[in-house]
Amino acid sequence: MTQTQIIAARLALLAAILAAWALLPKYGVLDPRLLPPLGDVLAMLGKQLARSQVQEAIGVTALEVVVAFVIAVPIGAAIGVAAAEFEYFGQIFKPMLFYVFSVPKSIFLPMFILIFGIGFPQKVAYAAFSTVFIVIMSATAAVESVKADHVLVARSCGATKAQILWRIYVPSMMPVLLETLRISMIFNFTGVMIAEMYASRTGIGHLIANWGENFQMPELFAGVIMLSVVAICFNEAVRLLEVRVSKWRT
Amino acid sequence: MTAIEVDRLSHIYAGAEGGVPALEDISMTVEAGKFVVIVGPSGCGKTSLLMMLAGLRHQSTGTILCDGRPITDPDPSRVGVVFQEASLFPWLTALDNTEFPLALRGTPRDERRRRAEDMLNLVGLQGFGARFPHELSGGMKQRVSIARGLVQDPPVLLMDEPFAALDEQTRMTMGHELLRIWSKTRKTVVFITHSLTEAVYLADEVLVMSARPGRIVDRIAIDLPRPRTYEMMATDTFGKLRERIWQQIRKPEGTLS
Repeated sequence: MTQTQIIAARLALLAAILAAWALLPKYGVLDPRLLPPLGDVLAMLGKQLARSQVQEAIGVTALEVVVAFVIAVPIGAAIGVAAAEFEYFGQIFKPMLFYVFSVPKSIFLPMFILIFGIGFPQKVAYAAFSTVFIVIMSATAAVESVKADHVLVARSCGATKAQILWRIYVPSMMPVLLETLRISMIFNFTGVMIAEMYASRTGIGHLIANWGENFQMPELFAGVIMLSVVAICFNEAVRLLEVRVSKWRT
Repeated sequence: MTAIEVDRLSHIYAGAEGGVPALEDISMTVEAGKFVVIVGPSGCGKTSLLMMLAGLRHQSTGTILCDGRPITDPDPSRVGVVFQEASLFPWLTALDNTEFPLALRGTPRDERRRRAEDMLNLVGLQGFGARFPHELSGGMKQRVSIARGLVQDPPVLLMDEPFAALDEQTRMTMGHELLRIWSKTRKTVVFITHSLTEAVYLADEVLVMSARPGRIVDRIAIDLPRPRTYEMMATDTFGKLRERIWQQIRKPEGTLS
């Protein structure tokens, strides 16, 4: 199949799904109370986006996501780089990090509520906590993707430590680092949503949980679309950048 | 004129049970413009020796002089190094790889472009500057490595088994190409290899090393005429020289049994 054909097939698949969503509930094939038709959901999405309560919730959620991300990524990256670069540090801490990484982070949420109460700090702390481990793992992998041979070649060409860092480490690590950014954002977003849905007075996650409990399906699906679009856009933007800087990796 | 002078160089690796002697009492002199090949079994320390000549590793005792001055750190203006396969930076094009040593020194962009292009022409890669390493064959990658080693115009070129990962045919061609480049540039070359045929074909002089500890056990002058041709490989003289190196290399095993 050519690239155009593949893209056409993808668009056809998307159109088919949207058409099914629009038509099946309308004609009673699917229960419209559980799956409201796409048209109703989109109309509801417009209505909700116009409400100040929803706009405020979007602001809160966005701020939580950004703050948690800005906390988790540098801390995780620093620990991950240290674990890869300093042998003893890595040998001592790596097993423990791997153990904690394998535990589902959501079981710690009640502890965060007890420590921080319900609100902004609790949600940010929990999201950062659930993100930091994947950043540590990926940062370690990024450093380990730097080839010793390349460092040796650079030294033989007279490179200083700073030049090795800038001209060898950074380009070697860049594809893995962007991948890290992308994947950790998925964890981070999930963390914020779980925290908001579990116990919160505001935020999109809180609204979605409420709408679900009150059986307000058009509102619920409007919320789902809203979040999906934001998440997909971020992911794809970083992935595009990733493809651009990893051309040489094939 | 002497290009490289190694005087009573020894190296001991720190091991669990005290030091492990890796190189013992290495002394050698390489005249400017000569092509010297070092052969020896795996673990004889020939790569370690080369790393020390490049200033990338420090010996325990002894001195290395290059152009009359000691080598203690990498100095690309005196010594260029060509490594084994996969030493090109995959995120840079062939031209950017070749320019790399100049870029480190902050050479103006135009000048470094020009010199890198000259070097790519010299190694027979005109028109390939924009290619990335993954778009080049194994032989072409090593040509770029040679261009990078020569771009600062150092008097000495060190080569660590540069053709070891290539197939036999490409390897022969590259050996021949290297001699062509060498005869044009008149560099002093120290070349490490496992291949005895390659050693005899390329060298003015072959140094044979023994393993554990690494020592120079023989120096063999290769007095075949230049330019060398593939036909020479079939001659008696070539076979005898090759045989003599082989006898030296297998000797330690003989004494063991």
